[in-house]
Amino acid sequence: MELQEGLRIKNVEMRGIVKTFPGVLANDHVDIDVQAGEVLALLGENGAGKTTLMKVLYGLYRLDRGEILINGEPVSISSPRDAIDLGIGMVHQHFMLVPSLTVTENVVLGLKSSRGPLLDLEPAAKRIEALASKYNLAVDPYAPVWQLSVGEQQRVEIIKALYRGAELLIMDEPTAVLTPQEADELIGVMRGMADSGRAIILITHKLNEVMAVSDRVTVLRNGRLVDTVLTKDADVKLLARMMVGRDIPQTRRTDETSSGEPVLVLDNVWADSDKGPPALRGLSLEVREGEILGIAGVSGNGQRELAQVIAGLRKVSSGSVRLKDKDMTNSTPAKMIQAGFGYIPEDRIADGIVRSFSVEENLILKDHCKPPFSHGIFLQKDAIGKFADEMVDTYDIRTPTTDTQASHLSGGNIQRLILARDMSRNPACLLSCYPSRGLDIAATEYVRKKLLDVRAQGCAIILISEELEEILNLSDRVAVLYEGQIVKVAGVDDVTLDEIGLLMAGASSAESDGSGE
Amino acid sequence: MKRYTKVLTAAFVLVLLIGVCGGFVHASSKVRIALVLASTTDDMAWSQSMYEALLALQNQLGKDKMELVVSERLGNPVDAGAAIRQYADQGFDIVIAHGAQFQAVVFEVAEDFPKTSFAYGSAFKTAPNVFAYEPLAQQGAYLNGMLAGFMTKTGTVAIVGPVESGDAVKYNYGFGQGVIAANPKANFRIAYTGSFGDVVGAGELAKVHMDAGADFLSGSAQQAVGAVRACAERPGVYWMATDMDQSSLAPDTVLAAQVYHWEKLVADMLELRKQGVMGGKHLYLSFVDDTLEFRISPRLADKIPADVIEKIEKAKQEIIDGTLVVELPTGTK
Amino acid sequence: MQGVVISDVIVGILATGVRLLAPFLFASLGEMFCQRSGVFNLGVEGIMMMGAFADFFVTLRLGNPYLGVVMAILTGIVLGLLMALISVTMQAPQGISGIGLHMFCWGLSGLLFRVYVGFITTIEGFKPLPIPGLASIPILGPILFQHNWLVYLSILLVPISAFVLFKTNWGLKVRAVGVTPQAADTLGVNVNAVRYQCLMLGGALAGLAGAFLTVGQANMYADNITAGRGFIAVALVYFGRWNPVGILLGSLLFSIMNSLQLWIQVLGINFPYEFAVILPYVVTIAALAVAVKHVWAPTALGKPFRRESI
Repeated sequence: MELQEGLRIKNVEMRGIVKTFPGVLANDHVDIDVQAGEVLALLGENGAGKTTLMKVLYGLYRLDRGEILINGEPVSISSPRDAIDLGIGMVHQHFMLVPSLTVTENVVLGLKSSRGPLLDLEPAAKRIEALASKYNLAVDPYAPVWQLSVGEQQRVEIIKALYRGAELLIMDEPTAVLTPQEADELIGVMRGMADSGRAIILITHKLNEVMAVSDRVTVLRNGRLVDTVLTKDADVKLLARMMVGRDIPQTRRTDETSSGEPVLVLDNVWADSDKGPPALRGLSLEVREGEILGIAGVSGNGQRELAQVIAGLRKVSSGSVRLKDKDMTNSTPAKMIQAGFGYIPEDRIADGIVRSFSVEENLILKDHCKPPFSHGIFLQKDAIGKFADEMVDTYDIRTPTTDTQASHLSGGNIQRLILARDMSRNPACLLSCYPSRGLDIAATEYVRKKLLDVRAQGCAIILISEELEEILNLSDRVAVLYEGQIVKVAGVDDVTLDEIGLLMAGASSAESDGSGE
Repeated sequence: MKRYTKVLTAAFVLVLLIGVCGGFVHASSKVRIALVLASTTDDMAWSQSMYEALLALQNQLGKDKMELVVSERLGNPVDAGAAIRQYADQGFDIVIAHGAQFQAVVFEVAEDFPKTSFAYGSAFKTAPNVFAYEPLAQQGAYLNGMLAGFMTKTGTVAIVGPVESGDAVKYNYGFGQGVIAANPKANFRIAYTGSFGDVVGAGELAKVHMDAGADFLSGSAQQAVGAVRACAERPGVYWMATDMDQSSLAPDTVLAAQVYHWEKLVADMLELRKQGVMGGKHLYLSFVDDTLEFRISPRLADKIPADVIEKIEKAKQEIIDGTLVVELPTGTK
Repeated sequence: MQGVVISDVIVGILATGVRLLAPFLFASLGEMFCQRSGVFNLGVEGIMMMGAFADFFVTLRLGNPYLGVVMAILTGIVLGLLMALISVTMQAPQGISGIGLHMFCWGLSGLLFRVYVGFITTIEGFKPLPIPGLASIPILGPILFQHNWLVYLSILLVPISAFVLFKTNWGLKVRAVGVTPQAADTLGVNVNAVRYQCLMLGGALAGLAGAFLTVGQANMYADNITAGRGFIAVALVYFGRWNPVGILLGSLLFSIMNSLQLWIQVLGINFPYEFAVILPYVVTIAALAVAVKHVWAPTALGKPFRRESI
């Protein structure tokens, strides 16, 4: 272990932290501490108060009560500047980068320059390269940030903190946006930084990450401290129970497939991508009544375009789309909705809701011009309110009132709102894109349960997901999407995980058949 | 925060109002005249000439016999319309909207206030309670043009015009005829700034005229003062003024001026009202009754040869007795 | 066209164009810093008016146009500070604050002129200052090197602004706070302080632009002397894509087109004057439409900065 000379932070402690927002007690007397050289996982569901607590530590929020101690000495942190000066760095979940600037410019922003008022980009770039090679954070210091991949941008964020001499590094859900391989690399980086004597706080709700990298785990629930345990003394099940407060059975399909007539049929569909070359190349599939068809594939193989074609949001250049025996090729979203199509979009905030609308307005978006919600040109406030109350109850949408602006809800509750809106319309066909992405355990299981519920009612469901486990647990049949084509469709019980993995990577169907059997 | 914003806003509005309105209102039993101007009372041109005439008339009649209020900076006819209607509503006897661009709003308001007389110009279209007035600007322009034509050394005479309309067209047309009458070989150039009030633009246009060889320049509307100033920078270049005598701006540059005397025209309106005539008349400023004056700068008069002055005097007499008619472009009446 | 040498005309067009450039350059470069930092200052026109008046008044009373320029700059700084107070500290909507500032300045300049001067009068402005040696170069000399010192200053400000924006620490902060102020904030940059500084700098340059109108061009003052030049300067910032060189090109195109149309009219070329006077606007807009390319607009432009709900 390479311990660096001159590190100032031995331990950081937060005691009795209380932070309230109007109407919300975000942190309620929380105590945590972290030592130099260790990775502390801060575990909790969405809304448990993890990020709030860390923003207090980084000076972005002012604490209402409590104290922060570094090496046993109380310190006052009222702005990020104070935190930086004390050696605290933070990598935010939503990256704090200026896309128009280069990597080096982003890193030196706000720092004093060795050349007085002039920028000293050359020596800074050299230092960045040195840091990058030391901590295995490969990035081009001269590249503009907007050209970087998400993983590279995250490395820039880490370098930014290290460049400022951060000895305590807070990482807020750093793997949420990364590919599995990038996530593994990042775990290595975190370990390496801890081994060089720095302290790391990792905010996450992914249990496997906690197990892989942390030394200790502090669990928060509803703004309160549940407990802090040593990782080696814990297991996934225990942590899940601490985080959620009860045991969560894993949702999976149990009954046999009893599918009926085809509801949605795509035949030899070609469609262009935004960039030009076709994203869908003669894609054909059918989904039947009462079944879930899982679409497996590495992201970027046409998932986005497939979803848009089905929803009526993207024109096909050839081929046909049929819904319930009616030709819906190059139809409009409105016609698809009328024909009984439901849609849980990939980007639930941008495409799923109108952020500035209230919960109840969002709930009636698709039926606002039909009775009972409108009469002539007038909206019927009472009927809308009644319906919204019912939905909030049935789907357990946690919102102060139905008049609350939808943008104020958490991700999980926005997803519940979308489920409520689209499922309550009893759709004949439901397209569900990455329905559990970014949700915590409880919300994820809720979404999966609801999908199985509408399946039981006879709905034809397409499930696009990046989690193979989710597809295999829920689907009746699985279709593998590769380079804009469905390369294989099979009953879930007739394929193995290995086989699907190979098909996703581009192995031909014949090869995988051979290796699979 | 909100409260400070309100206080600030109030302060803004207050200063704005003080800046825009320079008026004052007094009790009645005397003739009440309101003047609506597109620019300001100190524009050294069209607006100031009318304002000073009204002040002179007020001095002559006595402040107890004539009340005068002014609204300035109403270049936008819609805003001007609001002011005109308000004055009519407050019982003013005569509302003078000093600009051809006010024609439409004047006619619109005049219909609703038959007991109020309205006056506007330069124009000729009247209504039973609307006077139209105009200076015969082409006549003084002709004399200005003659003088420039005789005196130019470079042979190039130029106009710094505002916008090609109304008074400016008449002035420029008359000026051109004068130049050619005096000097058939002269190079007569017209250019416009596209604005009545852009003094900087007029200065730049004058500089271009001079760079291109002009040594005698002229032009109308308040923008012209910028051109006067630009001419004053160059020795040997002279300015022929109109609307007002602008020689105070550039005493060694303004050689002559056509000066408008509106006092008599307004006094005539008052007289007509006494006789029960509320409008419907088309009134002129002309050399005949000395409401139009051609003034040669006393300071620079010795630079002009006697025979030139003689010829100009002769032309003026011929204009008065009708033997010399200064043409107007077709379409302007 | 008789008696005119064609090369003289071209030199004349370009020389006039360069002279017309200065007020736009001053005001646009100042506005560029404001917008780069995320504040849209529509009050430029008003600040120019006040700068023009301040300069005129001081020059008239003290007979020293240099003091007038200093006064115009100080006036601009104060008004920039006022805009910052309203739009940054009080977080009022920027568009309407700028219009308000413009109307305030329009009223105030008219009031001050009426009360303290009262009639149109002239002043002695700056005389052309030919640069020894360079001024006598044929063609280039008259175009570039026979202007007053403010014209030279305005052109020098282009590389200076580019240097400040792209090569200094402060410039980096300006570029950051106009795109993602949250990011700058998390790095300890005082977002609002940077915006205050930019508005004061923008005010100073707008004041200088106004001063140029009185002591560099008109040598007098009249009501509403700016005649919309401030708003054109704002438009030129868009044209120049928030880049000093782009702003120079835009201002140059606009000024030369303006000069060209003056010459077209003066030389009596058969071209309707109505079209001549709109020529600079039409050509500039057309160039803007054609010259579209990817640029990083200050995406936080117009948005007051507040740290998330605290």
